[in-house]
Amino acid sequence: MSAVGVSPVGVELREQFNNTAQQRHAATMGMFIWLITELLLFAGLFLVALILRITHPASVTAAAKHFKFWIGATNTAILICSSLTMSGAIELSRLGWQRGMVRFMLATASLGSLFIVLKGYEYVVDWQEHMVPFFLDRSYALAGDSASELFVNLYFATTGLHGLHLITGVSILLVLTRQAAAPGYLQRHQNRIEIYGLYWHFIDLIWIIVFPILYVLNR
Amino acid sequence: MSPLDSTIRDAATAQPTIGRPKDYLHEKSTLASWFFTIDHKRIALLYLASITGFFVIGAFAAGLIRLALVVPNGQIFSNDTYNKLFTIHGVVMVWFYMIPSIPTTLGNFLIPLMIGAKDLAFPKLNLTSWYIFMGGSLFTLFTVLVGGVDTGWTFYAPFSTTFSNTWVIPALIGVIIVGFSSILTGLNFVVTIHTMRAPGMTWFRMPIFVWTHYAVSLIFLLATPVITIALSLLVLERGFGIGVFDPALGGDPVLFEHLFWFYSHPAVYIMVLPGMGVISEIVPAFSQKKLFGYRFIAYASISLASLTFFVWGHHMFVNGQSEMASISFSVLSFAVAVPSAVKVYNWTATIYRGSLRLDTPMLYAMGYIGLFVIGGLTGLFLATLSIDEHVHDTYFVVAHFHYIMVGGTVLAFLGGLHFWWPKMTGRMYNEAWGRVGALLIFLGFNVTFFPQFLLGYLGMPRRYHQYPPEFQLLNILSSAGSTILAVGYFFPMIYLVWSLWFGKRASANPWEAKGLEWSTSSPPPTHNFLAEPVVDFEPYDYPIKARERV
Repeated sequence: MSAVGVSPVGVELREQFNNTAQQRHAATMGMFIWLITELLLFAGLFLVALILRITHPASVTAAAKHFKFWIGATNTAILICSSLTMSGAIELSRLGWQRGMVRFMLATASLGSLFIVLKGYEYVVDWQEHMVPFFLDRSYALAGDSASELFVNLYFATTGLHGLHLITGVSILLVLTRQAAAPGYLQRHQNRIEIYGLYWHFIDLIWIIVFPILYVLNR
Repeated sequence: MSPLDSTIRDAATAQPTIGRPKDYLHEKSTLASWFFTIDHKRIALLYLASITGFFVIGAFAAGLIRLALVVPNGQIFSNDTYNKLFTIHGVVMVWFYMIPSIPTTLGNFLIPLMIGAKDLAFPKLNLTSWYIFMGGSLFTLFTVLVGGVDTGWTFYAPFSTTFSNTWVIPALIGVIIVGFSSILTGLNFVVTIHTMRAPGMTWFRMPIFVWTHYAVSLIFLLATPVITIALSLLVLERGFGIGVFDPALGGDPVLFEHLFWFYSHPAVYIMVLPGMGVISEIVPAFSQKKLFGYRFIAYASISLASLTFFVWGHHMFVNGQSEMASISFSVLSFAVAVPSAVKVYNWTATIYRGSLRLDTPMLYAMGYIGLFVIGGLTGLFLATLSIDEHVHDTYFVVAHFHYIMVGGTVLAFLGGLHFWWPKMTGRMYNEAWGRVGALLIFLGFNVTFFPQFLLGYLGMPRRYHQYPPEFQLLNILSSAGSTILAVGYFFPMIYLVWSLWFGKRASANPWEAKGLEWSTSSPPPTHNFLAEPVVDFEPYDYPIKARERV
């Protein structure tokens, strides 16, 4: 061991593979393919949102003006920062600096949680402003404009699905951080940090697409 | 019989029985060793048992449908019961039998063996996807049997969102869950084929079976997420009225059809492509001849998988899409015939001047080729706009897709099951019974479905259980055929199970076939090969070659 606090880095070979290079390649590729399917899942929602913009431009603009642009923009910045800290964690894991890596992972989880809190606050404001048309008992701010209702509902479906991914992401990240803090973890499972990082960057990327499609276009 | 190449390429078959490791079936025998196994071969058998169960349920519903259609006045079942019956038949057969059938059983079993790997890249994920499949499918089965659903397997809006009074939401949730199982299986296959090939196993040395499964996995990965989100929006629509498919809010029910068929047309190729892979293995083995046009068949598989994403509109010719869109989709649908025909011609050219043996797998393969041609050609009728206007939503369509799905997928599945049965179980089935079963299925299938072409052409609509009395004769003929078909299906179910205990022991390569899977013992040991195989031969290296001139 060269320096204090630096642990050896490696991957434990599973029996179906012949060598660790093959195993790393397979794991990375598996995650990329999973993310492609996730992208297509969201693509269905993006498609519907864009079709609505074409078929009902006025109603969509009216609805989009009610969305909280600044909360969305702040959240975009937060997620980009969290991707930066996640990249830091990956770099440190490659170097074997386990303590630093754990701190960067915790920072990532905190930024992700901050996003969820802000998003929750935004939902509360939407509720107060009567922008929740799928609650049939509550009157709707833009009553009479049915196509806008549709767009607001889609906004909840899309941000809800993204939020679900983020909550899952933060939960997995916390469990992973706990495991990764154990001595010798980097020697056995260093590539899990990298693979998880791909997923985290992906959640960030999806938000970077969601934000302009829902909040910015036609504004 | 032609001179046979007896070179032994793997140590497994040369080793004496003593000292050889136990095969995967006998290594452990506890119940837990089956339900928590991560061996791809055992998981394949778990899938085989499950989808056979679903097949029996779906076939039983089909039998009841044919029973109801014996009389024209629809007195045997009420309208509601009839609607629920064809929904059970469609949902169970499409989602829980056809789509998983060949990939999860034969594909799961054979892909690692064929490329010389110890297992799939993610064995635990493989087991997880079986559990997801069982969870989702049993839940849906409970829903359609206890509550009943009357939307058909297509779940069209606005009927499914607004008007149906049945258990649509639980059925949708079950189907969505099963979709994740498909995605994970496809992911596992793609990564395995990319990263786990043995030394020397280049892309163009892979058997066509592996190529077609690669193509199918791409469809699983690219199409399934779209149906997941479309069905999720349907759930939200029915549950909360979010309005995406509701014209009252400015939504569009046709949008659901677009999203649905963007998945469900490729899903047809999920059902057909693996069958093509099976046939491409059986035909050379029973002709003892090198597969004709190997590269063309490989390319045709990938081009089918690509083209299939651009033809979904041919399901919607009469549903209000623009004329321009319809013409484009019609032209693209014709294009699909090209790679399909490439395959058929190549199989035929392989048989030509081969050294033929008409054993059970080859009978199924020959049946497949004939029925696939009929199904494919009638597909061209339907891709023609003017004819489709006439026969849309009639029994002509029903007959067409049964020729592709039953004549194609089911025959290929059964052919493949017989072909690899010795490898999977280490036992031979009874050949005479096998041939009788294959002939009965072929006969019964044609008697059942050919009259439906005539009925459809004369104008009998699908999904109705009352019809004018002049159609009764053809309907009775079709129902009579379905009983022959049912008897035919009983044959393999009985003699295959019987062979598990009483069948003759199989050698490593009972068909004198080529390919890595035949070089290891039958049944294979847990990690497939005793030593990692090295591939230094071309695919389909059979004794008879095509003449080397154009």
